[in-house]
Amino acid sequence: MPLLEYPTLQEKIWHEKLDNGLDVFILPKPGFTKTYATFTTKYGSADNHFTVPGGETVRVPDGIAHFLEHKMFEEPEGDIFSAFASQGAAANAYTSFDRTVYLFSATKDIAANLGTLLHFVQNPYFTDENVEKEKGIIVQEIDMYRDNPDWRVYFGLNEAMYEKHPVRIDIAGTADSVRSITKEMLYDCYHTFYHPSNMTLFVVGGVDPEETMAQVKRDQAGKTFGPGGEIGRLFEDEPKTVKQKKKEIFLPVSLPKCMFGFKDDPGTGRDAIRYELSSKIMLESVLGSSSTLYQSLYDDNLISDSFGHEFNTGPGYAFSVIGGETPDPDELVRRVTEAMYEAASAGIPEEIFERTRRKRIGAMLRMFNSPEAIASEFTRYRHKGGDLFRAVEVFESLTLDEVNERLREHAKPEQLAVAVVRSKASS
Amino acid sequence: MSEQFQRGTLGRLRLHVLPTKRFKTFAVSLFAGVPLTESGVTPIALTPFVLRRGTRSYPETISFREKLDELYGAGFGFDLYKRGDNQIVNFRLDIINDRFVSSSEPLLGEALSFLGEVLTKPATENGHFRSKYIEAEKTTVSKRIDAIINDKIRYASERCIEEMCSNEPYRLLALGRKDELAAIDGASLYESYTRWLSQANLDLYVAGDTTLEEVAAFAKRSFDLPDGAPSAYAPPTLAEARPEVQTIQERLEVGQGKLNMGLRVGASYGSDEYAALLVYNGLLGAFPHSKLFVNVREKASLAYYASSRLDGHKGLLTLQSGIEIKNFERASRIMQEQLEALKAGDFSETDVQRTKAMIVNQLRELQDSAFERISFDFSNVLSGANRTGESFIADIEAVTPGQATAAAHLAKLDTIYFLRDLKEEG
Repeated sequence: MPLLEYPTLQEKIWHEKLDNGLDVFILPKPGFTKTYATFTTKYGSADNHFTVPGGETVRVPDGIAHFLEHKMFEEPEGDIFSAFASQGAAANAYTSFDRTVYLFSATKDIAANLGTLLHFVQNPYFTDENVEKEKGIIVQEIDMYRDNPDWRVYFGLNEAMYEKHPVRIDIAGTADSVRSITKEMLYDCYHTFYHPSNMTLFVVGGVDPEETMAQVKRDQAGKTFGPGGEIGRLFEDEPKTVKQKKKEIFLPVSLPKCMFGFKDDPGTGRDAIRYELSSKIMLESVLGSSSTLYQSLYDDNLISDSFGHEFNTGPGYAFSVIGGETPDPDELVRRVTEAMYEAASAGIPEEIFERTRRKRIGAMLRMFNSPEAIASEFTRYRHKGGDLFRAVEVFESLTLDEVNERLREHAKPEQLAVAVVRSKASS
Repeated sequence: MSEQFQRGTLGRLRLHVLPTKRFKTFAVSLFAGVPLTESGVTPIALTPFVLRRGTRSYPETISFREKLDELYGAGFGFDLYKRGDNQIVNFRLDIINDRFVSSSEPLLGEALSFLGEVLTKPATENGHFRSKYIEAEKTTVSKRIDAIINDKIRYASERCIEEMCSNEPYRLLALGRKDELAAIDGASLYESYTRWLSQANLDLYVAGDTTLEEVAAFAKRSFDLPDGAPSAYAPPTLAEARPEVQTIQERLEVGQGKLNMGLRVGASYGSDEYAALLVYNGLLGAFPHSKLFVNVREKASLAYYASSRLDGHKGLLTLQSGIEIKNFERASRIMQEQLEALKAGDFSETDVQRTKAMIVNQLRELQDSAFERISFDFSNVLSGANRTGESFIADIEAVTPGQATAAAHLAKLDTIYFLRDLKEEG
């Protein structure tokens, strides 16, 4: 069986691509009590316009990938949570822009639980009645997020940045889009995106890799699937500049929440992992909690501990997200962007770059204590054509010139967008 | 589960070391706890915020944080919370094991020396805390208190507890009281800090590839603590529920209503009934197969989340759900019906089997996380209980349906709290 070995990290992964196209990865963790498994389809909220195998073009309502995630848990014999509970397993799922992940964690009956996971995700059961019933639940989920200022400011920023790309759409959709979903649409999406060739299974924990691989192969060999085939994801051309410079949203908050960032061009043919990691080092070097900028903003009461940054990238999109709560959003944006433009022209000092690199490597190694994080990140890296367990090597091979070049291409005034959530009274 | 904590003491400090090679890091956790009091809560809450600004060796915040970066970005942070009737400050450090990097210095020694400085050798001026740090962190704490309202789920939960515990210190936030911050200065906080350090229960935990002897040696040279011997935590006071249930409605600009309920269970983590209470809580609302999830969400489609949580250290049970505002009466009725159903023993053998399997799974899973093992062990220190993962699992397995029903009768509804919109009814 093909083996991926990482001697410095003292880890080994068993990998096979099965006849039906399913990618299976098993990472044994000797001595661990728990086993954690994720079953992931490369299908998320951004996949709302595509061609189904057969050639027909389909545009589906916003939020349907997430709706599908909810409905997968229902089987003719009842709610699948109960089956997992009987086997002592905690099950869950989540949907992002480009993935839907089903998972369980358990400390016994691993084979039975793995069988349940494969069974329910590969066995859709939608009826008019159970689809209708789910709408009330999802509308409450949407309402919950609508009252959440952190969520609103994040999506406010995406909306400000993107004109066409579906990354601007809330993952759960809207109350109206959710109400328009039918079981036929769910089956269409299911048959397009849940073919084994579009999916990855990752198992990590106290398992015997040979036995587990054999079980998965037997399970898959006993099921029949259609031919699968290429999925055509359709994205309209996205302008390089932002849709709108600034977006304001009103919600009751103790202080305004301000998120801003630069729209980036992920391009094509780039090494996606190198691009992502160099972008993260770039942001951390200039904005990290040990930077002089951070300390001066904190001293001037412009930021609190909530100030942070991230770099998000996926098919057809990439952007930085910077900010937190602040009494003065305009001043915060001015101070941070000026510091970034300055750093872009002067260059990040060698010493800061090295310290930041070391910090990121440490954070990466700490993450390897968490089976949940490994499973999620490994699959995410894989979808980008990378290998999570080589990330430390990528960090080590990055050069200061490369990161400085990244900063020059990223921090450009015409790519900046700002979103603010504030109370009505303070406007 | 052959790995066991090794115990020792160093003056007032209790040492707990879990030697294990399973993790890529050393997990370090320090708990400093004192009784939660009206007069002490605010200065004690402010203390860790000031301590994380600088130490004697790294008095400037930037150099302090650069040091952490150099320790391979050691994950350093602190938490502030209430456990039982105590206010606990918990410092955490997660630092990678030297064997994964080409480091010349022993990183665990460096980490403990850093933590020892943070706690016992702060940056000072004229014999007390730097006023610059005090003023900045007063603002930070004040902003944190204000920010609770931003997260409506958390806000509703805090408000329900505040209303329910209105006659005891437990109503206070672990962050303290905003109106008391202004009067605190470098001298008064330093005095409060030295008193706190001489009175607090102190527990230092390390999990990783090390031994008690090694940790004791590092700690001895790193912690500069006043003399004395370790002290013990007092058991919590378990108040009775109000004779009449109180219903509190609060109005804010929200779209979704938050319905919370608070109950008193009259028993705590150290009690014999605790295992039965945990099973009861599991039947009620801890899992997706529980009554609240099934009846409020799956059957009535009223909510996305509907759950219950048992706070064993204070003997409180809370229920929480997010609902459409017009459904308050209906959701409240369905939630109370579930409480009644469990009192009537209206649950199956299968429900009990599933619930136990889920709780046992959680107890086994925590063995794989250094910080969760530490937290589980600290619950013993706090409550005087003497549970191991194995003994607790045996206790859970032994709970009978009759004991779960008896636990349901212990839970007495005290407060119904509803956060709703500003619009008038009708």
